[in-house]
This record gives sequence, C-alpha cells and structure tokens, in this order.
Amino acid sequence: MYAVDFDYYRAGSLADAQKLLGDHPGAKLLAGGHSLIPLMKLRLAAPPAVVDIGRVAELRGVTLSGAAVRIGALTTHTELAASADLGRAAPALAETAAQLGDPTVRNRGTIGGNIAHADPASDLPTVLVALDARINVVGPSGHRTIDAAKFFTGLMTTSLEENEIVTSIDVPVAQPGRGSAYVKFSHPASRYAVIGAAAAITLSGGTCSSVSVAIGGLVAHARRLPSVERALTDQAPSESVVAKAAAAVAADLGRDVSGDIFASAEYRTAVAPVYVKRALLAAAARASAR
Amino acid sequence: MDITGTYTFDAAADAVWTLLMDTSAIAGCVPGCRELRPDGNDRYRAELSVPVAAVTGQFDATIALEDKVQPRSYTLVVQATGRPGFVRGQAAVTLTPDNERTTVQVTAHADVGGAIARVGQRLLEGAARMMMDRFFECLRRKLGD
Repeated sequence: MYAVDFDYYRAGSLADAQKLLGDHPGAKLLAGGHSLIPLMKLRLAAPPAVVDIGRVAELRGVTLSGAAVRIGALTTHTELAASADLGRAAPALAETAAQLGDPTVRNRGTIGGNIAHADPASDLPTVLVALDARINVVGPSGHRTIDAAKFFTGLMTTSLEENEIVTSIDVPVAQPGRGSAYVKFSHPASRYAVIGAAAAITLSGGTCSSVSVAIGGLVAHARRLPSVERALTDQAPSESVVAKAAAAVAADLGRDVSGDIFASAEYRTAVAPVYVKRALLAAAARASAR
Repeated sequence: MDITGTYTFDAAADAVWTLLMDTSAIAGCVPGCRELRPDGNDRYRAELSVPVAAVTGQFDATIALEDKVQPRSYTLVVQATGRPGFVRGQAAVTLTPDNERTTVQVTAHADVGGAIARVGQRLLEGAARMMMDRFFECLRRKLGD
C-alpha cells in the first residue's frame, strides 16, 4: 500500500535535524527506514512529516575510545557485525547484529532507529541492557546519557523526550575474564525473538564475580533479571548451578509475559529458563576462555 | 485474546466504584480518549486516538456498562472501529474489599480484526495490557489526589 501523503525533509546535520523536528510538530525521524516505512505503508503510522537523518555523517561509525566502544546511531547492523573493534570489545553485540532480521534489514536498518523504535521482540535492546550500554541523546534541553536498562520503559516506549535524538551508544569494552552471549528462539518467519536472552559474566577464581542477564521478546521491553543475577553471583557456573539460577526467571517475570497466536504466555514462561540457562552457560564458557 | 489484570486501590469499594462510574475520570484516564459522551443509560460513545509508538490509530468506540452490581461487579463492553481495524471486547470487573483497600480484578476477552490484527498480532496482547495498566494507574492517581 502507499503511505498517506507526508512532507519529506532531509537533514544535513544533527543541528539541522533538531531544527526540522522543532519546526514540524508530529514529524518522525527516518534513519534506515526499516521500521517506520513499513508502518507508514500499512497506514498504521501517518506522520505529517518525515525528517530523514540517513545522511548525517556525524552519526555514523564505530570508534574505540578507552574503556568503551562508541557506536554512532546511524551505524547499520551490517557495519556492527563487520566491526573488528566491536568484535573484540563486545562480541555478543556484533554476533547479534550479524543474525538479526534478513540481509536487507541489516544493510539498511540502524542501531539508533532500532532502539528508538523499541520493538519488544527486537534483539539489540536485550543485548544492550545486559552489556550495561549507555545511550547518548540530544534534544531541546541539551545532551544527556541514559542507561540502557532505563531507556526501554514499555511496549515500543522509551525514555526519550519529545524531539530527542539518539546520537550514539557506548558499550563497555569487555575486560579479561568477562564473556557475553545472546541466544534466542526466533520466530521461523520473521526472525523476531519469541524469547531472547543475553548474559555477561565476569569470572574470577572460578566463580562469577559479576553477572548481568537480560531478557526480551516475551515482555513489553528488554529488562534485567535481578533474581537470576543474585542466584548466580559468587557461584561457580556449573550446569546445575546455572540451571537453578535460570529457574529464578519466573520470579523476575511474574505475570508480565505476553503471548501471541504463535506462542502463548504460558509457553514462553515455560521455555524462558532454557534460553536464560543457555545464555549464561555460553557467557561463562567465553569468560573462562578469555 | 484474553488478558487479566489486578489493581489494588487504597480506598473502600464504594469509593472505587464511584470512581469507576465517573464519566470524567474515565474520559481522562482511557489512553488517547479525545471525547466521551453519554449515549443513553450506561452507554457512551468515544473518540480514541490510540498512542502506541509510531502507530496512531483513530477509533470510534461505543462503551456500555452492563450487569452492574454495586459496588461489587460489572461488565464493560467495548466496540471500536477505525482505519487500523476493529476491536470487540468485554471485560468482567470485580471489586473485592480487603480491609481499607479494594482489589479490582479485570478479566477481558477481545477479538481484533483488520490491519492491526494482520500485521500487529504479536504486539496486540502487550498493547492491550499496557493500555489497561495505564488506565488503572491513572485512576489510582486520581483517587490519591
């Protein structure tokens, strides 16, 4: 279907984009266009204006600076997957980008657009939450930085204020002894995560000195699993210990799980511990190999 | 689609019931409600502009309160149609007093059709739950004021 008529503006710079958003109430930002455009063509979204930031060069690219990797908001999934710096600093994120959606989505879709859209079944939010990433944004009231765990607040809802733009994402560089992994049960047609689990573990002396685990796909937004983290912290990550910790996911999710025609809430709740366990074991195996 | 929710109010059942029957409170708390006007006894017509992310669904809705047993229970019957599709649903609402507080239990069933059901199926339950939570959170805040 064709989109409802809309005005199109191309921003030449970040400052230009901010001005255009301010000048055109109700305008939507267009980055890679692989979430917004399908919605517009289905006429589920009908913004009066679109501000295209796709050519704003200052929002692009992956740079390593000290303890963090800075990822420009317009970096595509293909660029994430191909980045050697990201592959070393946060392999779970690069791997996730490599197997997200399909080649068209990966070549056009951007990390900034992905997280601003905040689809509950998207992969990157879950990984960013587990890796303690920080989201840099700019808006009418200036720059600010938001922890990934506080960025996603509801179904397709973020803590972005009106006319704020995601500029970059900072991901901590994994230190020796730290491993991370993302595993998902993907929908066979869409590749969206029915359940996605991401874990990052730091091992010292054979026990988990730090455990960070997040889940997505079955709840309204990616979120940490504090009960699972507590259950595994200071433990040696044997299969039985990890399985027991992963079972605590039920306590963290409570009644918040949503189902659909493909997988009911009960089913997802029952399967979630399996994927949490797999993510934890994979992260622990990598931690011990580093 | 079936969804349930439980919401606890720091008030007696009579006060919660009054709030749940208050047209202006409902109009202020239904997410995206632009207008709510009476259309006969316990019936209302509403214009909704449903806000879920980039999706902006405009709906015309009829809302009816049936089987009212004050201050214990009622059934909310909603029919909404708009460009994104249609929603037909009913929700059984029960109020249970618990000392000074009241627990409101909602058991809803909804049928959804049209474009939203075709392409948004995997998001419907989450969206419905979010709107229900927002509605009752808003009412709870009103009671606190």
